Amino acid sequence: MPQPILRVEDVVKRFGGIIAVNHMSMEVYKNEILGLIGPNGAGKTTLFNCITGVYKPEEGRIIFQNEDITGLPPHVIIQKGIARTWQKVRPFKKLTVLEAVTVGALLRIPDVDEARETAKEILEFIGIDKSRWNRLGSEITLIEHKLVDLARALATRPKLILLDEVAAGLRPHEMDELAKVLLKVREEYKLTLIVVEHVMRFVMGLSERIVVMHEGKKIAEGRPEEVANNPRVVEAYLGTKPL
Amino acid sequence: MMAIDPSLLLQNIVNGVFTGLLYSLVALGLALIFGVMDIINFAHGDFVMVGAYLTFVLATTFMIDPSLTAFITMPIFFVFGIVIYKLIIERVLGAEPLIQIAVTVGLLMVLRNLALMIFHAEPKGVPFTMFTQPITLGPITIASSRLVAGIVSLVALGLVHMLLTRTKWGIAMRATADDREVAELMGINVKRVYAVTFGLGTSLTALAAALIMTFSRADPYLGLLYGLLSWVIVAMGGLGGVIGVLASGLIIGIIEALGITIVGAGARELFIYLTFFFILWFRPRGLFGKR
Amino acid sequence: MPGVLAKKLALTKERLYGLIGLAIVLALVPVFLGFNFYYVLLATNVMLAASLVAAWNIIGGYAGQLDLAASAYMALGAVVTGHLLASYGLTPWIGMFLGAGLAVTVAVLVGYPTFRFGIKEVWYALLTSALVVILMRIYYLIYGSFETYIPHMEPEWLYLSFRRYEVYYYLLAAMVVIIIWINLKIKSSKLGYYLAAIREDELAAEALGIDVRRYKLYALMIYAALAGIIGGIYITLTGILSYRLFDPWLGIVTAVMGIVGGLGSIEGAVLAAVILRSLEEYLRGAIGATYPGSHLLVYGLILIIVGVLKPEGLASLIRYVKNKLFYRKREEVK
Repeated sequence: MPQPILRVEDVVKRFGGIIAVNHMSMEVYKNEILGLIGPNGAGKTTLFNCITGVYKPEEGRIIFQNEDITGLPPHVIIQKGIARTWQKVRPFKKLTVLEAVTVGALLRIPDVDEARETAKEILEFIGIDKSRWNRLGSEITLIEHKLVDLARALATRPKLILLDEVAAGLRPHEMDELAKVLLKVREEYKLTLIVVEHVMRFVMGLSERIVVMHEGKKIAEGRPEEVANNPRVVEAYLGTKPL
Repeated sequence: MMAIDPSLLLQNIVNGVFTGLLYSLVALGLALIFGVMDIINFAHGDFVMVGAYLTFVLATTFMIDPSLTAFITMPIFFVFGIVIYKLIIERVLGAEPLIQIAVTVGLLMVLRNLALMIFHAEPKGVPFTMFTQPITLGPITIASSRLVAGIVSLVALGLVHMLLTRTKWGIAMRATADDREVAELMGINVKRVYAVTFGLGTSLTALAAALIMTFSRADPYLGLLYGLLSWVIVAMGGLGGVIGVLASGLIIGIIEALGITIVGAGARELFIYLTFFFILWFRPRGLFGKR
Repeated sequence: MPGVLAKKLALTKERLYGLIGLAIVLALVPVFLGFNFYYVLLATNVMLAASLVAAWNIIGGYAGQLDLAASAYMALGAVVTGHLLASYGLTPWIGMFLGAGLAVTVAVLVGYPTFRFGIKEVWYALLTSALVVILMRIYYLIYGSFETYIPHMEPEWLYLSFRRYEVYYYLLAAMVVIIIWINLKIKSSKLGYYLAAIREDELAAEALGIDVRRYKLYALMIYAALAGIIGGIYITLTGILSYRLFDPWLGIVTAVMGIVGGLGSIEGAVLAAVILRSLEEYLRGAIGATYPGSHLLVYGLILIIVGVLKPEGLASLIRYVKNKLFYRKREEVK
C-alpha cells in the first residue's frame, strides 16, 4: 500500500450558519491522480481553499507529508509543496508567458537568470511553442492560459498540484490534449494530482481514484467505474434540483 | 492632569452626538456607492463642497433659508451624479483599483480648483437662517441649527434604510452589492442600478451640504475634511449597512468632541485620522462589518 | 569594456547606454540655459519632481499601490535634516540618512496594517493621503506656524550650503540618474518580478509563494528612503523649515505624474514629470495670478483623461517609438 501524501482529517468549515464542509476526511496517495467530484455546492471548492490556505478550517487537521499545515497562509502552503491552478484563469496580463512562469520558478531559485532557464525548460516540456513565450498574458488563448497556469505552478517544484475545474470552457480535443500533458507531467516530475472537476468525461478518464462529495461530506470513493455505479452517488447527482 | 469641567464635557458630548448624526449623513452616500458598486470615490467630500457652494449661491440669490435649498439641490445633484457616473465612473468600472482611485482623485482636483478659481479662497457663508436661537435644556445649550441638522440627518438615514430594505430598487441594490453576477442572472439591470446608486449617493451630499451651510461656511478645502471623514466612517462601519454608518458617525462625532475638549480645536482632525489609523490596524474589517 | 560595466551595474548594454546618454544630457542642460539664474532654478525644480516621481514609480508603478504621501516622506527627510543642521550643525550628508530612516519607519507603520492579505487597496491610498495631514498637524503642534531658517555655513560642501543653484541642480540630477538605475535594477531582479506579479493579481501571486505583504513593504521602504533623501537635499536648497513642507497636493501631483507616465514605466514617469512640471511653471506664470489653482485643475483633467482613455499613459507612446526603432528585437527571445 503506498503511503498518503495528504490527509484531510475531519475538516469543518462554516460560513455564518451554513456548513460548507462537514467533517470531511480523505487521503491522497503519492503519485496518484485523484478526482474530487460532487454536485454544485457540495463543498469541493471550499475544501480546496482550506487545503491551499485561502480559508482556515474551524475544526480538523490537514496533514501534508506528515506535517500539520492547517491554517497556514497560501504563500507558506506552496513552500511546503502544494501548488494550485485556477478555475477562472488569473493571468498576469502585462507579463509575458515566460515572465509569468519565471515568477513561479523564483520560489526555489532566487537567481533571475537561472529561474528564467528553468521556466524555459518547463514551457518546452509542456509544449508551448517558443514563438508564444514573449506574448503578454492578455494576448493568449484559453488553452494557453491553462497551460501557462500549470507551468507557473510546476515551476514552484511542487509535490502535489490541485487543479480547480481545469477543463472548464475547453473544447473536447483541447481536453484530450490537456489530459495528455497532465499524465506526462506527473510522470516527469513525480507528482500527485487532485483534480476537482465538473466535466465527467474528463475526470473519469484521467483519474485513478475518485472521491465524491455531497453536502460537505464524502459519500463515496473508489475507482471511477465503481463510483459511477454507486447508488448514493447517482442519487446525489439526480436528487439535487437544478438551481 | 488638566481638570475637565463635567458640565462642559457633557455639553461637548451632546454637541458631538448631533455633529455625529450629520457626519453619518455625509458618509451615507459614500457607503452606498462603495458598498453597492465597489467603486472607490475619492471625490465624495468635494461633492459636499460643491453642494455647499450651490447652497450659498441659491440661498443668497433667491433669499431663501439655506436648509430649504436642499429641495432644489438634491434633484440637481441626483442628475449631476448620474452625469459623473456616465462620463467617468462607468468607464473605469472593471479597472484596477489604482486607476479608479486615480480618476476620482482627478475629479477631486478639478472640483476643488474650480471652486478656488470661481469663489477664491475666502469662505462664503449665508448671512441668514431661520435657526439662530439656541435651545437650552437644563445645563445643556444647543444651537438650533445643529439640532435641526442632526434630526434631519437621522430622518434621512431612516428613509434610506427603508428604501434599502422595503423597496424594489433597494433590494436590487443590495442584491447587486452582494453578488453582481447573480444579480445580473436574476434579471437586474446592474448598469442602471449603478447609475441610480451613484445619483442617490451624490444627492445625499447635497442635503448634508445644505444642513452644513446653516451653521458653517463654504470653502474650497471643505472636501478634504468631509472626504476623509466619510472614509473613516465607512472603514469603521465595515459594510454594516445604514446602522453601521450611523453608529460609526456617532462614534466619530463624540471622539471629535472629546478631542476638542481635552486638547483643543487644533487637534480635531488629528483625532479623526488617528482613529482611522487604529481601525485599520486592529479592525480592518470595521467595527460593524459582517464579513 | 561597456559590457563589463553593464554587468557590474546589473544592466543590459542598451540600458547602460541610455543611462549614460541621459546623464550627459542632464549635465549639459545648465550650459544650454546659459547658467541663467532663473532658468536653472526652474530646471532644479523639474529635477526635484523627476527624482520624486522616479522614486514613486517603485511603489506606484511596480507594486501598483496608489501612494499619495510622497510629500510626507520627503518632508520628513527635510525636517530631520534641516533641524539637525540648524540646531546642532550636523552635516546634511548624515542628516538626510537619518531623515530617510524616519521616513522608512513611518512608512512601515502605514504599510504594515494596510498591506495585510485581502485588505482592499483603497485603505492604503486613503491612509497615505491622511498621513500628510497627520504629520502636518503634528509638526504644527510642535513648531506652530514658526519658520526656521538655515543659515549659510562653511565649508560649503560639508553643509551643502551653496550660493549657486547649479550645484543643487547637479545634486538632484544625479539623484534622478541614480534612482532610475535603482528602478532598472529592481525591475530585472526577483523583487521586480514579484512586484509585477502582485500588481497584476495578488491572489495568484500569493498562490505562487509570494509573501505579498513583505514584498510590498520592501518596495515601500525603498521608495520612502529615497524620498527622504531627496527631502534632505531639498531643504539645503530652500533653507526654510515650516509645516508647509507637508503639502498634500505635492503627494497627489507626484502620483499624477507617475500615472500619466504609464504605470511601471520609469522612462514614462520621468518624462511625465519633466513635461508636466514645466507645463505647471508655464501655467503659473501665464494665468496663475488670475486663476489660482489653474495648474492643479489641469493636472486633474489630465489624470481623468489618462485614467479613462489610456491607462498605459506616456509609456505606450514610448513603447511605440521603441518598437519602430528596434522592431526586430521584439519577437526574439532573450
